Amino acid sequence: MSILIIPCYIKTEWDIDCLNRLLISVQNQTQKFDEVYLVEDASPFDYKLQFDFIEHIILSDNGGPARARNIGIEKALKLNAQYLLFTDHDCILDKEWNEQMTSFLKKTEFGAVGGMTYSYGNTLLDYYHDINGTLNGKWLLPEKKELWYMPSLNFGMKSAIAEEFGFDERFPTAAGEDVDICLRLRSKYKIGFCAKAKLWHDFGYKNSITGFKRFVNLFKKYKSSSATVYEGHTVLLWDASESIYKGNMYEPNL
Amino acid sequence: MSLIYKRKSNQPSISHVIYDYFGEIRPFAKRIEKKHLILPLVFLKTIEWSIYRWYKTPVRRFYGVKGNELVYMITRRCNERCSKCGIWKNPEPDSEHLKISDFINCLKSLHHNLYQVTLTGGEPLLFMEDVLQIAEESKKLNVPMLIVTNGSLINEDFLNRYSKLGHILVISIDTLDKEKWSEFRDRDDFDTVMNNLQISRKILGDKLQIQSVFAQETINDIPKIIAFCKDMGIRHVSQPYMDFGGVWQDAKQISENKGDIVCAARKNICIYPNGDVVKCFDHYRIPIAKEPLGNIGKEDIIPILCKKRSTEISKIMKNCNYPCKNLSCNKPQTLLFN
Repeated sequence: MSILIIPCYIKTEWDIDCLNRLLISVQNQTQKFDEVYLVEDASPFDYKLQFDFIEHIILSDNGGPARARNIGIEKALKLNAQYLLFTDHDCILDKEWNEQMTSFLKKTEFGAVGGMTYSYGNTLLDYYHDINGTLNGKWLLPEKKELWYMPSLNFGMKSAIAEEFGFDERFPTAAGEDVDICLRLRSKYKIGFCAKAKLWHDFGYKNSITGFKRFVNLFKKYKSSSATVYEGHTVLLWDASESIYKGNMYEPNL
Repeated sequence: MSLIYKRKSNQPSISHVIYDYFGEIRPFAKRIEKKHLILPLVFLKTIEWSIYRWYKTPVRRFYGVKGNELVYMITRRCNERCSKCGIWKNPEPDSEHLKISDFINCLKSLHHNLYQVTLTGGEPLLFMEDVLQIAEESKKLNVPMLIVTNGSLINEDFLNRYSKLGHILVISIDTLDKEKWSEFRDRDDFDTVMNNLQISRKILGDKLQIQSVFAQETINDIPKIIAFCKDMGIRHVSQPYMDFGGVWQDAKQISENKGDIVCAARKNICIYPNGDVVKCFDHYRIPIAKEPLGNIGKEDIIPILCKKRSTEISKIMKNCNYPCKNLSCNKPQTLLFN
């Protein structure tokens, strides 16, 4: 049984378009999700969705994606879900994403899994993210047999792990909370990489010039959380790692 | 990305910055297949690198994630001669005793990371004023503190000052049998400690705890101590016997609890009386960890923890299966939220 959890904070019409696009890709999965939880995190923008296969969990106040995901996790665990998968509203899933993620978790000893994330746009900035591996995970060096961390937009874990490790709700935005949970769960389990579980992330760049400010702000946001994550995980962060990017998706170690 | 914890004037040098920059750019540039895009992409990478290196976030430390325990063996000296412990056999000379200011600087450097400071020994209360100074500093820095003591040197003045700080005091008691007590400790101070225990309970309330060592020698005593604590309303903790130079025998039934995770690897920062830093006081079992990582009397704690060997030791400790993994300092729940 696999359950998809999508935290959702809608600010603009563009976010709605992204969400609709995601839900179409969810609908087209070769292996359907048993449940899809869309956790509405008190968005400032009113919207209605035309999809009947989702369960819309509406929160009265905004608590950030970590809290939204934890609410989804709690509900999924009550249903005895085996696999909990996570993505974000600005992603588009490959039609085999669920099949690949759940099959990977089923067949391997890894407690959690990350997939391969590509940029959706075609700007220079999108190309940069692809070769930089900005929203891909990081290999744990030197073996490259497991991941140092995996972003929560393309992430899954077994229910036993979810029972033990929740997201830290003190991370108020979508930055750092995924690094934090990965570092904590790695104290006990391993995170695997499933190159065949593909999705595309829309960074929202209209073109390379107008998107530049968004590009800078993105890294400033990540840096703002990373300082805190470094402080909370003083030592473990110094494990050597390397970004996964387009060119190394087919590692011989896989 | 080079994970610089904190940028200070004495680190890193310009050559380090250049080395770090090219260390980032070179592998990135190699990935670029469209060669005509090398320049703009390297420019973008330079921006990312600069943000990670120099951008100071306004919400730094906002979340308050605290994952480390700072354990300070303030002294090897002890006024008792317990057979369970051999630490007292090698007391540090005055010349090697760390200055209290060095430890407090270490505490200040790390306090954002700490969920607890633990003072152990030897007998920490041989340095009562230093202990109180650390306790006061911990209070100011909002870090809970815990002292493990044999209970013989406690006095009311200490308890009154300590209780105001809200920290925890742990008294080590392994038997309630007076004769056995003298045998265990090689001192006839059963009445003194029990009297101090009563006063401590009165003054510290639920901030007082009792700790016992679970060994072959105490198998029959522990249930009585647990019952005693229950009557007194005192929290009790059992620790499995570890060989720190003592002559007791391990009670194997609990130390063979396989499959537990070794959490000390990522959370513990241990300081010896002379200021030497290790990841675990049982580090002698691990070949590359025998030598300390550094000394807080000579350098700042952050560069010490950031040494490559620190990471390597952490990796080994994550998988080590030594009996010490059953100690409370290895419990995974302490990793989670405070």
